[in-house]
Parts: sequence; C-alpha cells; structure tokens
Amino acid sequence: MSVRRHRPGCKVSRLRTAVSLSVASLFLLQITAAYTGAYDLGTIVADMTQAPERSGGTSCPQLTRFDISTPGSINRQWSTSLSTSPATILTAEITTDGQINEIQNAIQESLAVWTGVSGSLLTPASLGPLQQTSLTGACSSTDGLNSICFDQNDPGFTLGVLAFTRVVSADTIGQQLSPGTPPSTFVGEILDADTLLVPNDPNTTFATPAALASHPDSYDLESILTHELGHSFGFNHSGVWGAMMFPFAPSPGHVAGTRPTALAPDAPLSDDDRTGLRVLYPDPSDSVHIGAISGRVLPANPLALPISPIGVTGIFPAQVVALNDATGTVAAAVTAGWSCGDPGPAQFDGSFSLQRLAAGSAQSYRIYAEPLDGPVTLGRVIGNMTSLCRNSTSDPEWPAQYACTVPAPAAPFSARVRASP
Amino acid sequence: MRKRIARQFIFLLFAALVFSTLFVAAGRATTLARLSLEQLAAGSAAVARVRCTGVSSRWENGSIWTLVEMNVLETMKGNLPQNITVRLPGGRVGHLTAAVDGTPRFAPGTQAILFLQPSRAGGFTIAGWVEGTFRISRDPRTGGETVTQDSSAFATFDAAARAFRTEGIRRMPVNVFRARVAAAVARNDGRTR
Repeated sequence: MSVRRHRPGCKVSRLRTAVSLSVASLFLLQITAAYTGAYDLGTIVADMTQAPERSGGTSCPQLTRFDISTPGSINRQWSTSLSTSPATILTAEITTDGQINEIQNAIQESLAVWTGVSGSLLTPASLGPLQQTSLTGACSSTDGLNSICFDQNDPGFTLGVLAFTRVVSADTIGQQLSPGTPPSTFVGEILDADTLLVPNDPNTTFATPAALASHPDSYDLESILTHELGHSFGFNHSGVWGAMMFPFAPSPGHVAGTRPTALAPDAPLSDDDRTGLRVLYPDPSDSVHIGAISGRVLPANPLALPISPIGVTGIFPAQVVALNDATGTVAAAVTAGWSCGDPGPAQFDGSFSLQRLAAGSAQSYRIYAEPLDGPVTLGRVIGNMTSLCRNSTSDPEWPAQYACTVPAPAAPFSARVRASP
Repeated sequence: MRKRIARQFIFLLFAALVFSTLFVAAGRATTLARLSLEQLAAGSAAVARVRCTGVSSRWENGSIWTLVEMNVLETMKGNLPQNITVRLPGGRVGHLTAAVDGTPRFAPGTQAILFLQPSRAGGFTIAGWVEGTFRISRDPRTGGETVTQDSSAFATFDAAARAFRTEGIRRMPVNVFRARVAAAVARNDGRTR
C-alpha cells in the first residue's frame, strides 16, 4: 500500500499519515490476530493465576461489557432524591410528580439513544424496567444495581468534575460483587455501573430538554446522561471531535449533536460512537457493517522503537482514524498499536483494526494515524497498563508466559502505515 | 501580490474565528469542566511537585478507591507535610476493577506537579483530575525537565480540518511552568486580599 504524507516538511513528532482504502477490497485485509485494537473501549486482562475455567484460558485483553444474552438483563434504577438548596436538576414542571416524570423521560431518552443503534444487539429489550429508589446513596458498587444519582455527594467530586461513571468489571468467571449478587459469566463482564452528577454546587445545574431554553446557564441533562451512559455500556473517551464520547461536551445551554427523535433515536451519536457500540455488542445478522481495515503503524526508523521492553515492533500507542470519503465524517477511531492472539499476551507491534465498518463498492475510507509519542501520553496510558498487560510486578505469582509490559512512549516518531497482508 | 496576502489574511482570520468558536462551544466537559491554569490555582489549596512512592487500592463505603502515596519535593502554593496521600476513585481490588475515565494513574517513581484539594474522605484529591496533573519528564533533546498536562494526552481528530490537534500544556520547561503557576497564584492572592 502506498502512503501519502500530507506535509513532508512538518515536525516529525506531529506527522500525519493518510492512506485511502476501499472497503470493497478490504475483505482481503482481514485481521490475522484474534483481536487487535480496542476502539476506545474498556478492556481487562483475565487473572491467569486462576484455572482456565475461571480465567477463560487467555491473557488477551477482553472488552468490558454487559451480559446481554438474556432479555432485560441490564437492570437500571435512579434515585429520586434531588437536592433542592441549591437545586441540581432544573425542570419545566414544578410539581414533584411532574419533575420526577420529566427527569425519568430524560433518562429514558438517553438510554434509547444507545439502544437505537442498528447493527448492535444492545436493544431496548436488553434493558430491565427503569426503577426508582428514594435512597440518596444508591450509587454503591457492591449492590449490582446500575444506578443514576443526582444527590450523592461522593468524595470523588473535585474542582471541575461535573459527573462521572464508576464501572466495575470482573477479571474472572464466577466473580460476585457481594453475596447474593449474580456471578460474572465471562471475563470483562460489567457487574455494576453507577453514574453520579455533582450535587449541591451553586455554579453547576443540569436542565431537562424541556427546561434548557429557559435555563441557558445549565448543562443539558440529556447530553450529560447520554455520555455517561456510554461509559456504563463500556466506552472510554473518544478522541474524535463531535463524538458523544468526546470528553468535552457542549457548554451550558447547548446540546450534544441533535436531539433524538422517534425515527432517529440515536441521532445524538456520531458514526464513531455507533461503530464502537457495534464492536461492543455486535449483531451477527448485521449485513451492512461487515467491513474491516487493519494494518500497522510503524516508525520510519525502526531504531526509534523503545529498547525495553523487548519485542516492541511497532508504534504504541497510536490514534488511527477512518474517515468516510463520501461523507467526510469519521467512521471510526481507535487507540491502537497492539494485537493479541490467544492465549496471549498482547504484542506491541503497531497493529490497528477498525471493525464493523459499512462495506460495499460505494464505501471508501481514508486512514489517518497519529503516533502518541511523547510524555503527554503517560497519564492516559498508565491507566491502561493493567487493562492490556499484567506481570509479576502488578501481580505476584503471575505466570511468565502470560506476562507483558506496556512500553513507555519513546522518542518522537516519523511514521508510516502499512496494511496487513 | 498584496491582494493575495490580504486574501490569505482574511482566510486565516476566518479560520481562527471558526476555531475559537468551536472551542467556546465545547468549553466544558461532561465529566470535567475545562479549567485554566488560573482557575486551577485559585481552586486548589496547594500546588506541589511530588514523587509517587506507592499505590494501593481498597474498598471504602461501597466503592473502590486508589490511594497514591506521594513525597512532596517542592511546594508552590499552600503548606503540605513531607508525605501526602492522594485519593482517586477507581482501582483494582482482588478480581474486581472499578474504572473511572478521566482520573490520572500513577506508578512509583513518577514525578508530577499536582493541583491539590483536601478530600472529604481524608488526604487530598487532584483538582480537575487529569487537568490538574502535570507530568514531569526529561526532554531527550535538551536534557531539560518539562511538564505535560495529562489532559493534553488527548489528540483530537477534527474531521473538518482532517487533522489531529492537542490542547493544554505540553513539554513546557519546568522553570517556565513554575513561573506561570507563581503568577497565577499571585494574581489570585491579589484578588482575594
């Protein structure tokens, strides 16, 4: 595959590379490893000190996601405890019942955004009924209840934190949160996901869609919830401008994307969000999103690769983006640079794989890659250390054959992209 | 020639306007509000250069917390003991991992400049999480120490411009950053006096 450098004279550390590919010809580029890349989805490595029936027998990173094999298996509740002085949630209705209904509608619509994506098995039927609780401290990671709290003043809140979602997943099969809660059925299963919005902050309020116009200094509750629910379903932040999972949402008074409608419940999402959801919860009967683009991001000078740990043969991490040539929109983006074939561990070979893309003769994509090549990446990558690799440092008694170490970002790279054979 | 330069200037002005409009529209975060250095300095009880000496996670009050032991090397605002504990949501205990996107993670030996707030649960927390975390590393070319804001790790792809870009503080010499923090703290002190 030829590579066209956009700006040959630009700084080496900020080099962009682009490759134009046609998905019609991409069936030849099927991934060779069992799994590569991760979009911006959470991953976890099984505890390989356990027996295979508990670990699943592979140290390849597994996606963190809900078990949706049974209808209604994702339970949901929200706490109707609302701070009033100062108010956190602003509604158009002023009666208590009216306020509760309005907030509940916003939650339902935010959930429907994610269950309205075609080509994914996450559907309205995957969710249990939305329950209410009057408990103020309903967002506990030990109860196995996926809760939304508007009045829980968690010590996690600090300056600038508007909302966060705490997602608890298991690294073994058969793991319980606490006695009485259902055990995990696969490695990476999300057992509890709680969303908290900052309460009692006189400078921070959230308004329902009906109330936003009259409260332009408030954040749009539906946009905030939709983003946070994306985390609860297994998403990390996306590096794509305009994606729902982009970490920065609209300023107060503004809406992320467009409002959902009955005909387009997933309207607020970008294609990057939709593609990620299709990877997380794929629908085997989907005949549209069956394309894949894979390859490697390599340094022009192999000597630029880190010496330690041994075996690093490509750039890690790198951000790889597939731009739809026809629409000019981002079809998918991944934080990549590794691959894994069972039984693992992960290999840092610069691999990327963009999966679940719309395929067909009319579909063509342009690939952009950005090596994340400076100390800037440390903070983000360190969080991924235990989600891609485990070893005797992170886990005493860890079997050597399943051990790997996430390489530290090396010197600034000059990169080229190469498609898989 | 002049016309061409004028056209280029108008184009650049227009591009700058579009760019700044986009940033204003996305001025706050779903999980994090975008904070300036002045806001971080004003909202923090202390600013310090620290070195991570240990990390552990445990259950507390129904959720998993990570406690990071830090050795204070230099204080730029406030008064701190020689050793502090920084508390962050999330972590791994046994076979369960609690993930909270947007929190910084530390490994022993890591050095950083942190904007700290007292935590109601004891110890300190970091203002703005990744926004209030500035990693220290050594520039391989100059050998000098630089700081890079964790939140600037996010290389953003802008489909309209078909380009990646980053925000925040990246590879700024420590001395320059220290001076900027001192100025921000002084400005805030002047306002609150």
